Amino acid sequence: MVTTATTGEKIFYVLNNILLMTLAFICVYPMLQIVATSFSSSRAIVSGEVFLWPVDFNTDAYRSLIRDGQIFRAFWNTVLVTGVGVTLNMIATIMAAYPLSKNRLRGRNVFIWFVLFTMLFNGGIIPTYIVVRTLGLIDSYWSVWFLGLVSTFNLFVMKTYFQSLPQSLEDSAMIDGANDIVILLRIVLPLSLPVIATLILFYAVGHWNSYMNVLIYIPSPSRQTLMVVLRRMINTVQEQMLIGQADGTEGLAFLQQALTPEAIRAGAIVIATIPIMTIYPFLQRYFVKGALIGSVKG
Amino acid sequence: MDVSKPSDISSTIGIDSNSKQHGNLRRDIYRDRYLYMLLLPILVFYVIFRYVPMYGLVIAFKDFRFIDGIIGSQWVGLQHFERMFRSEQFFRIVWNTFILNVYQLVFQFPVPIILAILLNEMRRKYLKRTVQSLLYVPHFISWVVLGGILIAILSPSTGIINIILVRVFRVDPIFFMADRFWWVVVFIVSGIWKTAGWGTILYLAAITSIDPQLYEAAIIDGANKWRQIWHITVPGISSTIGILLILNVGGFLEISFEHIFMLQNQRVMRVADVIPTFVYRAGLQGAQFSYTTGVGFFQSFVGLVLIWSVNKVIKKTGGSGLF
Repeated sequence: MVTTATTGEKIFYVLNNILLMTLAFICVYPMLQIVATSFSSSRAIVSGEVFLWPVDFNTDAYRSLIRDGQIFRAFWNTVLVTGVGVTLNMIATIMAAYPLSKNRLRGRNVFIWFVLFTMLFNGGIIPTYIVVRTLGLIDSYWSVWFLGLVSTFNLFVMKTYFQSLPQSLEDSAMIDGANDIVILLRIVLPLSLPVIATLILFYAVGHWNSYMNVLIYIPSPSRQTLMVVLRRMINTVQEQMLIGQADGTEGLAFLQQALTPEAIRAGAIVIATIPIMTIYPFLQRYFVKGALIGSVKG
Repeated sequence: MDVSKPSDISSTIGIDSNSKQHGNLRRDIYRDRYLYMLLLPILVFYVIFRYVPMYGLVIAFKDFRFIDGIIGSQWVGLQHFERMFRSEQFFRIVWNTFILNVYQLVFQFPVPIILAILLNEMRRKYLKRTVQSLLYVPHFISWVVLGGILIAILSPSTGIINIILVRVFRVDPIFFMADRFWWVVVFIVSGIWKTAGWGTILYLAAITSIDPQLYEAAIIDGANKWRQIWHITVPGISSTIGILLILNVGGFLEISFEHIFMLQNQRVMRVADVIPTFVYRAGLQGAQFSYTTGVGFFQSFVGLVLIWSVNKVIKKTGGSGLF
């Protein structure tokens, strides 16, 4: 549609562009500020000189994080939880989505409602905890893996995708004597790579950023994941600041002797966020596509 | 993919009443034996990790002890619920949960809609793509990291916001995280920051499916930009808005636990303590399993009733429901 814009419209377009670019900047600014902080000196941070660019550039924060080692152990724990978790997620989601995508399956509607109902109603934190504890899964990563085994939302994303594939391909394989599992592995899955990629990403981000389940089910500090360890570091500072203020202690004086100086905390945040932020630009396309397939379901 | 058409939404949920099933049941099950084999373990998963906890809600009517288990624990009737409805704290956390959700619905829900409409009006495609990519970034940042960022940039002494307030506007620094009013503002704004960009995806898809001829006709009729948006774009995405509204209201009392948990601190508990954080604290940390299960039950039940009623209302008023 080509039309000549009136003066009013031109002003609108310019203002609109400025507004949206500002908002886009606000979306990434905090992360950039954190990166700058992690490379700055404590003096520059405390006196508020850091804005978007490191002042007194140094890597002390990262050195002391490496020396401490805690965050790196948590990093590898998170890699393990995410890697195994996503593998199990994908196997389980495919196992459920494929049968449910078949109209001919007897009892399909019952199964679908059985699965769907869990999105509308759930037992809640305490009964779930009791079940996990009764099964003896406390302090085992299996608690986290089992509890998040299938996301019902992702299950429907995949089912919707399977249903969009042409049935004729499967029919001809069926005539050649292939059974459902062979058809799934040889025909359906190779055609489903976009949705598989999308769901791997959704699940991976979920595991990587997960906090609650690890907090509740993995009490051993040596097994905890990045977000839980990071939260502890952040919380120490926050609580101290609040106490400091309640005592009438000067916040500034306090911060200089804080347990976790700002730069170290910023460095930890950077380490925890970098894996996702580095893959994000390459995979953005898939994320968006996946969000849309899911939306058709509602 | 056409997201805006209501028919798609109900049909792809998978319930189609007219699929003819004929022939012998046993033969059909044998024919699809591999499919059932695939599905069965997943159904077992749903039973153990989703339905057994639902059954576990009965402990709200019992005095749960781990040695007795869910089945063996003593029945105590409505004792926990009586305590609940007499407790001042219970009403406060329900009120907090309710009001924070109302704020989110009023301030947070419309933002992606407006953003999507504005994005749709961007004419330079490369600029639009760049802006979109940046707007999606917060969606991938965890609540823990968001909490850390907020504490850093809102710090009364070293946070950039207070530095600007003090140096540019010459006012006293504000302790955002410890002030009851500002805490609520931070909660809402951070929620918008994290969700608004990603939330535009669905609306943008819905806008794309609007017939361009409608706009051409409107321009010929002399409609300005504002009128085009109001009379074509907004009605064009209304069914998407409706569906998302149902989902939002349905998750009403759910409130993002991690979001609120990351920002909570002792100084703001009066306004920041909500049902899930109370259940976590009193239930898991304080071992009041039965009482807090009752509180959680209340929340799940209200959620179910809400989603059912909003769905009904939207269907009655001619919109497309979720089920």
